[in-house]
Amino acid sequence: METLGFLIDGFGVALAPHNLMFALLGAFLGTLIGALPGLGPANGVAILIPLAFTLGLAPETAMIMLTAVYAGAMYGGRISSILLNIPGDEPAMMTCLDGYPMAQQGKASEALAISAVASFIGSLIATIGLILLAPLLADFALTFGPAEYFALFLLAFATLGGITGKNPMKTVVAAAIGLMIATVGIDNTGVQRYTFGVLELYEGVDFIIAIVGLFAISELLFFIEEKAGGGKAKMAVNKLTLSWKDIRNILPSSFRGGVLGFIAGVLPGAGASLGSFIGYTLEKKIVGSKGYFGKGDPRGVAGPEAGNNGASSGALVPMLTLGVPGSGTTAVLLALLISLNITPGPLMFTQNADIVWGVIAALLIGNFLLLVLNIPLVGIFVKLLSVPPMYLLPVVTMIAFVGIYSISNTTFDLYFMVAFGVAGYLFRKLEIPLVPIILGLLLGPEMEKNLRHAMDISDGDWTILWDSGLAIGLWVFAGLGLLLPYIVGPLLRRRMQVQTGTGGPEGD
Amino acid sequence: MTFNDRIFGVLMIVLAVAYGWGTTQFPEPFGGTEAVGPETFPRLLAVVLALSSLYMVVRPDPDNAWPWSRTGIELIIAVVVLILYAMLLQPLGFIISTTLAVGTLCWRMGSAPVRAFVTGAASGVVVFLLFNFALDLALPLGLLSFLEVS
Repeated sequence: METLGFLIDGFGVALAPHNLMFALLGAFLGTLIGALPGLGPANGVAILIPLAFTLGLAPETAMIMLTAVYAGAMYGGRISSILLNIPGDEPAMMTCLDGYPMAQQGKASEALAISAVASFIGSLIATIGLILLAPLLADFALTFGPAEYFALFLLAFATLGGITGKNPMKTVVAAAIGLMIATVGIDNTGVQRYTFGVLELYEGVDFIIAIVGLFAISELLFFIEEKAGGGKAKMAVNKLTLSWKDIRNILPSSFRGGVLGFIAGVLPGAGASLGSFIGYTLEKKIVGSKGYFGKGDPRGVAGPEAGNNGASSGALVPMLTLGVPGSGTTAVLLALLISLNITPGPLMFTQNADIVWGVIAALLIGNFLLLVLNIPLVGIFVKLLSVPPMYLLPVVTMIAFVGIYSISNTTFDLYFMVAFGVAGYLFRKLEIPLVPIILGLLLGPEMEKNLRHAMDISDGDWTILWDSGLAIGLWVFAGLGLLLPYIVGPLLRRRMQVQTGTGGPEGD
Repeated sequence: MTFNDRIFGVLMIVLAVAYGWGTTQFPEPFGGTEAVGPETFPRLLAVVLALSSLYMVVRPDPDNAWPWSRTGIELIIAVVVLILYAMLLQPLGFIISTTLAVGTLCWRMGSAPVRAFVTGAASGVVVFLLFNFALDLALPLGLLSFLEVS
């Protein structure tokens, strides 16, 4: 019942007029970001972070707005899946399978409406799950000592690639690079490390610059390489004729998808892509031969869409309670928290209860806003979808420049961002995942601090790191996270490939 | 072909060694050495990076093709444009440099030149006005500073 009290306080925060306004703005921008191909959710949230700073938003307002962007992006991803047969973001891949055939049969607006309702149900289930589970997990996490935290961070890195990940060793390389960048600057004993006497490096590398560079600039370079500036022809959208019966038909699928998605989101190493994949496969199994999956079955739209939204809300659970994100976009949200000077982790639930519960309440409200935005306003999003990337990406790049410039008003940061962009392009060419680099940048200082504390407690005895049952458990799971992709990965990947006819997922 | 991973792996091993060697150059922390000094964590990282890069050298993935010829030149142009944009942002001012940078990028990505530079100019002016008046954040005017009203 304590939770309920906090939640009511949270609604008090989230319903304050300016917070509500920014939630609406965030939901709108998020849907847009999700819908536009070439502007993934992690990328979009990253670009908006510096802007949230320049607006001088209060921490809870900034967090509410960007969480709304996050939720919105998951709604938006389906629009281009259905209309263009290209997923706006990775988890929306499964929505293409039945969404695009529906659009081809002239039922585009039904597909859009059904997927909006399914997204809503998926998110709603997962948000309720979040409300129930998060306080419990936060309480549990209070028992963690520094050694357990150190092991937990390792677990986070090990499972980041997901069990469908291609080459876990590349995740390790990426994580090490990120952690190394994080050691640049003056450490907490006052020693300069790797600053080479450059004044701008004394405070370390600003991870926001790194994130925006790695995502936004490298995306621009990829579009140039693929010569995809022209965009694709889009489907016409018919007039909506949706009856209650249609909605009732997809309800069971949406519920199942939402619950499964939530579980996949909470578990380390699963993520939203797997959530929507499981959602789809299960629907196919349950409905069996009565369905016409792959040929425009509405249930094939509802299941994965609910799964993907459920997973994205579920992914907030480890991020909020443990300070350990499980996906790219939640990592970017964590970056926002850290730069707002809020220490993520279980203590946040007591020390910054207004922010945590404000954000959770905002998720609930944001869901309703998104449903309302998405059904009548879908026409606007569809129009914006036809803006070709050759105009869109340069303008987005410019906005990234403005945002980074406005943090400190120096051009040094801009050079840095471009350098990270080029590096990001090279990493992506080599199939080195970017998210572990970012997570390394974010978690590096905390990880080192916990290692130090653990060592101080044990007086330099390294065995403390695997001294408790909990710590051993975390180490074992971390090991499994690196080994399982070699065993189950090829199998799962092949199955996803067969179904979608595209490459496997590479994080979300 | 498996050159990419091997070359990158070797480079990363070099980085790991250099980074690890760097830890020996840290000045002694004030108050003597502790169980975990400033060099402990970086040394761990150097070992992890060296081992994982070694794996990349031994078991490389197949290469992705690099864009040589025309596309490669386009990419270099784009990077140069971005660097020039950063360089000229303050001297030329936001509006002019944005017109040039966004315009060039749109043009190189396949838009007609006139439309490209109109897009650049329009986006520059809109964002400038938005930041200066709505968000109260001064972007440099540069050459256009004679327009300043205040």
